[in-house]
Amino acid sequence: MDHNTYIPKLAKIIEIKEEVGGARPIKTFRTQFLNVNDFSFRSGQCAMLSVFGRGESMISISSSPLMKDYLQFSILKMGRVTSSLHEMQVGDVIGIRGPYGNSFPVEDWKGKNIIFIGGGIGLAPIWSVLNTALGKKGDYRDLMLIYGARTSKDLVFKEELEELKKKMPVHLSIDVEEPEWKEFVGFVPQNVTDKNPSPKNAIAVTCGPPIMIKFVIKALEELGFKDEQIYTTVENKMKCGIGKCGRCNIGFHYVCKDGPVYSWAELKKLPQEY
Amino acid sequence: MEKVLLKKALPQWVKKLESYTIYSPQEEGDFWNYEVIKNAEIIDLDYLNTVLSPKKIIFPQREVLFEFSTSNEDELKVKEILPEERPAVIFGVRPCDGKALTLTDKVFGGDFKDPYYWKRRNSTTLVGLTCNTPPSSNCFCLSVDGSPHSKEGLDILMTDLGDKYYAESFTKKGDELLNSAKALFKSPTAKDKKDLEKIKAESKKKIKRQIKATEKIPAKLKDMFASPFWDDESLSCIRCGICTYLCPTCHCFDMNDEVTSSSPIKGERVRTWDNCQFPDFTMHSSGHNPRPDKASRLRQRILHKFQYFVELYKNYQCIGCGRCISKCPVGIDIIEVLEKARDYGS
Amino acid sequence: MVNLEELKKEASQILKEGKVKYIIGLQSSSNGLLPVPAFIKNPEDVEKLVWNPACVYNLTLFLRDEKRRKAKEKEPDEKPVGIIVKGCDSRAINVLLQEEFIKRDDVYILGISCENTGVLDEKKLAKKLKGKKAEKVEFGEKDDFVITTEDGKIKIAAQEVLSERCLECKAHFPVIYDVLIGEKTKRNIENPFKSLERIESLPPEERWKFWKEQIDKCIRCYACRSVCPMCYCDECVVDTISFVVTPDTPAEEKAQKIKWLEKSPVSSENFVYHFVRAIHLTGRCIDCGECERVCPLDIPIRFLNKKLEKEAKELFDYEAGFDPDQPSLVSSFKDEDPEDFIR
Repeated sequence: MDHNTYIPKLAKIIEIKEEVGGARPIKTFRTQFLNVNDFSFRSGQCAMLSVFGRGESMISISSSPLMKDYLQFSILKMGRVTSSLHEMQVGDVIGIRGPYGNSFPVEDWKGKNIIFIGGGIGLAPIWSVLNTALGKKGDYRDLMLIYGARTSKDLVFKEELEELKKKMPVHLSIDVEEPEWKEFVGFVPQNVTDKNPSPKNAIAVTCGPPIMIKFVIKALEELGFKDEQIYTTVENKMKCGIGKCGRCNIGFHYVCKDGPVYSWAELKKLPQEY
Repeated sequence: MEKVLLKKALPQWVKKLESYTIYSPQEEGDFWNYEVIKNAEIIDLDYLNTVLSPKKIIFPQREVLFEFSTSNEDELKVKEILPEERPAVIFGVRPCDGKALTLTDKVFGGDFKDPYYWKRRNSTTLVGLTCNTPPSSNCFCLSVDGSPHSKEGLDILMTDLGDKYYAESFTKKGDELLNSAKALFKSPTAKDKKDLEKIKAESKKKIKRQIKATEKIPAKLKDMFASPFWDDESLSCIRCGICTYLCPTCHCFDMNDEVTSSSPIKGERVRTWDNCQFPDFTMHSSGHNPRPDKASRLRQRILHKFQYFVELYKNYQCIGCGRCISKCPVGIDIIEVLEKARDYGS
Repeated sequence: MVNLEELKKEASQILKEGKVKYIIGLQSSSNGLLPVPAFIKNPEDVEKLVWNPACVYNLTLFLRDEKRRKAKEKEPDEKPVGIIVKGCDSRAINVLLQEEFIKRDDVYILGISCENTGVLDEKKLAKKLKGKKAEKVEFGEKDDFVITTEDGKIKIAAQEVLSERCLECKAHFPVIYDVLIGEKTKRNIENPFKSLERIESLPPEERWKFWKEQIDKCIRCYACRSVCPMCYCDECVVDTISFVVTPDTPAEEKAQKIKWLEKSPVSSENFVYHFVRAIHLTGRCIDCGECERVCPLDIPIRFLNKKLEKEAKELFDYEAGFDPDQPSLVSSFKDEDPEDFIR
């Protein structure tokens, strides 16, 4: 009989970092498998995390596949399972199954400029592909990150972003003015228009709240980006992760298996049901 | 392999199959359902269609996937629970219900083979029964590439010839079953074969309901996603789960942890049927629901069966058993909905 | 005798006069004997309306959809909805009014009296016809039903095929209406709880066995809940999620939502579901019997509600659905109520 994909592999939480506090807290977890690690994945893929007794939640892997020591997940506290995860301590054991879904076609992007555009927790899936591109810098041309959140407190990976600024252009934004803030004030799509990245030989990758994605795509189109040059990720409620339980479909696509990464050209052809 | 069995010898055959768990349609009040047969003598294949199809045996409504517990040493343990392997025989499977399993096979197969489903599927022998007369007034198998004597998905098809059954075996599992009681079975005579063909031909003529030009529907539906059609068609829908739970091809499920002790933690991860007609099926934790109303949910049911499944597997995800029609509390009729969709706007 | 033409005339008139948004009625079905819901907007479509002993449905459940639809509209049409009701259905309207789920102005009630009969029980009829298919059912002249089968027409005394609830109905004509069609005939019911006797007479262990067998059949399709006009809550204990969640609902609140029962269709969980529902319907159920009719596994759900209806009557002299202004059973207290521990 084939491998039973429903059985989670046990993993220990080795590090927890509080990214964002307040009413919509975000924490970043690093995990290590207890037994032999045969978990190989590609940027953009997700994993089903189990809190035994509470259930499962599909979370995108925010570390790069180049990083072999741990898997990283940045998680917004949202419902039953993510609330339980937020209560966990270093040393606690969770279950991980996967990886599931497709990935960013980074091989096809070789030799291109890549503009990463994120909002809020949407930086998590981008973080994996961004670090992969950065790790193989020779394969790609210019990289740029445009990232924003409601307030400066809602930005994730704050320290890492400061580090990143040394390696590539990073343009941050917050929605409303704050005294200490020196960078862009306004919504992410406005920042995209403001930074005016060239569509020439470029790929744009955008993740974030659905409303932001919608307007980022609009802004990119205005800058001359074609549908095939824009990539995004989709999320729907999921249970099995393998295209069988029937709830995450958009048309005949199961987001858990055939997604979450779509080019705007592909996504446009599917029904608007996400 | 083709054999004939005297009707009165059927219980004797069932008795010979003691190494199997035997299911057959059994009358429970006003309806029929598949149950484990406790006494071979009660087997009765003169039944109307069962409320639930054999799906309930191969893909039970509740199934434990694994157990989890924390031992004294504070170590979390996960134990896989696969179905028991005792082989089963299901008697009296309607050809449409047999075909339905070939469709769920596609879903539970593919890149990730579902071990729970396949363990049962592979250890179950399906003995079908030709529908000499339609078991429901809403049968429409001919409109969805089926037939009242289809062998798809079945190991054996039996056909009632009056005082005997004509048994055709199509698989090794079927042959084994016929060989398990060799003395009871005779080779068919030329007349038996002639009778069989006659009954099969007549069985098709007795099916009253049909969808005309089903083949035109998938392409038509593709252009109807945003149509107000679905609002009108779903007006009377009460968002219950009858149509999908009774559907032999519907496979959606949920997975939840059922806890018997919270400290130390002990429990099971359980899979249960779920249902695209329930509003919580697709509702995100944030409150956002991509299918927020009954129109979008009825659309999902129809499109899944007659567009998406066709795009994925080239088959309709419907076998024409008519259960969803007969049992809908408000008379929503999939034949009517599909025919209206086919002719919509033309 | 109820005249269908009179109903059509009234319906057509209120649509023409613009008194109602649309009318919820019944029309013939493509696939079975029971007429199915019709939502009629145009006066000419009133021709679709039917009235016969197979008009079993309680259409008041669709007031729930109407309310939800209206809540979503920016500028809702405040006109009432026309609705065709029988005696039992009209009592549902009274409960909905009593609970302020709807306002009197939300509905224009076209009441029809069941007079001396009621609606049929499809299963009783099927047994009577011994395999023959009924194509049509009509009211006869003398408290009988005229059944058309492939062999022609036959007359059956209504009493023989009436729904059990109709045999126990205390008001077989609408108790609230704008227009009444048919007469408020008198009918004597000896014992409105007669059907309960066969279960009440069983010793406890047999009663338990009976209910366990029944409840174990449940596949939790929730059709009984969905078809019930009283099951209108936005948040129900059986759902995995609360539908009142907004983007601002704190994660804690969602995480702490109590899981009253598991999705697994096993005895314990099924019992919780059916008993919680029965308790929640105490003093509210008006015995339209729809929950039992729609159950695909024939669970006699009506008995549960009927038993509680009997308790309410015997202990508190309370009957649901007769007075929209009466205080509700479970939230009111009277000096003469039994059980003095509460004083």
